Amino acid sequence: MTRMLAPAGSLEMACAAVDEGADIIYVGPLGFSRRPYESEMSDGAIREATDYARARGAELRVVLNTFPTPFDFGRFVDKAQHYADIGASGFIVTDIGLMRALRQRLPDTVLHVSIGSGISNAQDAAFYRAAGADVIILPYRWDVAEIEAVRATSDIGLETFLFETVQTGKLCPGKCIMSSYLRFRDWLEVEGSRDFHGSANRGAKECYRVCQASWEFGVPGEAPLELKLRRDARLMLAQLPAFVRAGVSCFKLSGRERPVGMIRDLVRFYRKAIDEVIGGATDLDHHAGELAELRLRWVREKSRRVDTLMDRAASYAN
Amino acid sequence: MFELSTDVGNLKELREGGFSAYDALYLGDFSCPDYPNNFSSHPELLEAGLELVKARDQKAYLRLYAVPGNSDLGWVEDLVDAALELPFDAFEVHNLGLLRMLREKGCRLPIHLGVFGNLYTHETAKVLKEYGVTRVYPNPELSLDEVRYIADNAEIEVLVPVHGKIPLVISETCFILEHSEQGEEDGAQSGACGDGTCSYQCTQEHWLKRGRSDGSRADWSLKDTGRMTLSGKDLCMVEHAAMLAGMGLKHFYVHNKGEAHGYAAAVGGIYRDALTRAFCGKDAEDPTASLATLAGLAREGLCNGYYFEGAGQRYFGRV
Repeated sequence: MTRMLAPAGSLEMACAAVDEGADIIYVGPLGFSRRPYESEMSDGAIREATDYARARGAELRVVLNTFPTPFDFGRFVDKAQHYADIGASGFIVTDIGLMRALRQRLPDTVLHVSIGSGISNAQDAAFYRAAGADVIILPYRWDVAEIEAVRATSDIGLETFLFETVQTGKLCPGKCIMSSYLRFRDWLEVEGSRDFHGSANRGAKECYRVCQASWEFGVPGEAPLELKLRRDARLMLAQLPAFVRAGVSCFKLSGRERPVGMIRDLVRFYRKAIDEVIGGATDLDHHAGELAELRLRWVREKSRRVDTLMDRAASYAN
Repeated sequence: MFELSTDVGNLKELREGGFSAYDALYLGDFSCPDYPNNFSSHPELLEAGLELVKARDQKAYLRLYAVPGNSDLGWVEDLVDAALELPFDAFEVHNLGLLRMLREKGCRLPIHLGVFGNLYTHETAKVLKEYGVTRVYPNPELSLDEVRYIADNAEIEVLVPVHGKIPLVISETCFILEHSEQGEEDGAQSGACGDGTCSYQCTQEHWLKRGRSDGSRADWSLKDTGRMTLSGKDLCMVEHAAMLAGMGLKHFYVHNKGEAHGYAAAVGGIYRDALTRAFCGKDAEDPTASLATLAGLAREGLCNGYYFEGAGQRYFGRV
């Protein structure tokens, strides 16, 4: 079965995504999911989103993809237990120790390996399967050949972002701590009382998207190049049929931090496209015009957001 | 008493560098298989490298490529097979797929988890111990208190970097090559990275800078070695040797990758002295001269990383 996983950075977004046909929505609890607090949700809002989704035949998964501190490990497990008790059907996790603990405590939930785990080959997928994972998110660089390689190694479920594959640039989810090296801020009250310092990888401190900002690059003494460290991701479409044939069972739309209207339009668009592929379509060219418009909106919004994050980072003390 | 280690990429560096201050050497550049005559991608060079290290009565740990794609698994396996026939003291892995491969092969050597293994918790360390991991390099974001907690609660060795640049990012392709004339001629999408035509432009220093003269943006600086980006500043813990010894930490590391000839020797000598005094319970010497030497080797200055909490580029002096 091919399913669509849609972001819910707020209760309003959760409802919009369900209304437009998402099979599963994912939410991040405040301080536990690698996003600024504006794109995370309180436990009360998560409960409401869960009820809304379940009443309409959809599921809710909870993103616990920050790395716990050793001192705070038990809190992650307790949070997961709470969300399972109120109806969450699974979790998106990065830390292997946490994955093992959740597999033992909550055997009936679905565990996704977060992009932050930094998987790079089929053996990785087999490792995570043995650690208790049900689904891995495919790296941004992977195309059909890599998907088939995993299929040959493991029965783990395959999920992919709705982005085209990219081969160049510093594309390193799970292998990057640039943001916390450069800037740091303390926890905010809204994120809860935590007793350890953090980073983008550990919850409170947002990733400033430094890889998407402009940098000067070169050899000292020579004129530098001005560039970004990676290319902007492009929404995908044409690859959908091939990915489904290769065994991808879940398509994930990114964007908890995006405007609700944009997510609503994207879920509607991809619901239509995925249903066509499930129905046997192999050519989605007739959607090219609508895709081009959505891509433009996506990039414009992203540029605005990167500038905001970098300005915010510059305002913090070292 | 304690172990001080550093890294050496190839035979030439091993023969020409000064490593007498070190108890152990991590052989190979885990970030780039194309690095010239890299121990991590040249099985035919392992025996000669090992012979040199053992002749100095040092331990030799073999580093494996940190971010192998599916197409890399075959040659990495060949390297592992060759190494298993030799008296290495340990493997270092960053990639969990390779860790699984080592277990499948029945590897009996100790395995060290490298810096890009994403080790944040004692619970993860416990899982990795089941795969033969005996030593972990905790993610640099962790504080010293967290590092010690992992060591105590997972009952595992922890490698504590004490000096050198902090590995911040690793990628599967070479950023220098992608933005060189050669890379652009080959086309950014296809890239020349990994096709055997690398011109080794990483032998020149490359830096990423971001700053504004009006002060509205931070002045940020990072060193780039192609597939890996390092902190601009050098982590420096020489003033805190006694504290490290007092915490029960025993395995220390100097990051040498990307540094000029002579760096490992100069830094190693200073830390050998400082740690020896600390572990013997002697008072630390006045660090002024050592700090001046270390600062002279650090183009962008010194920092304490994340050890004392906060952003990684801060420096807290003891004196």
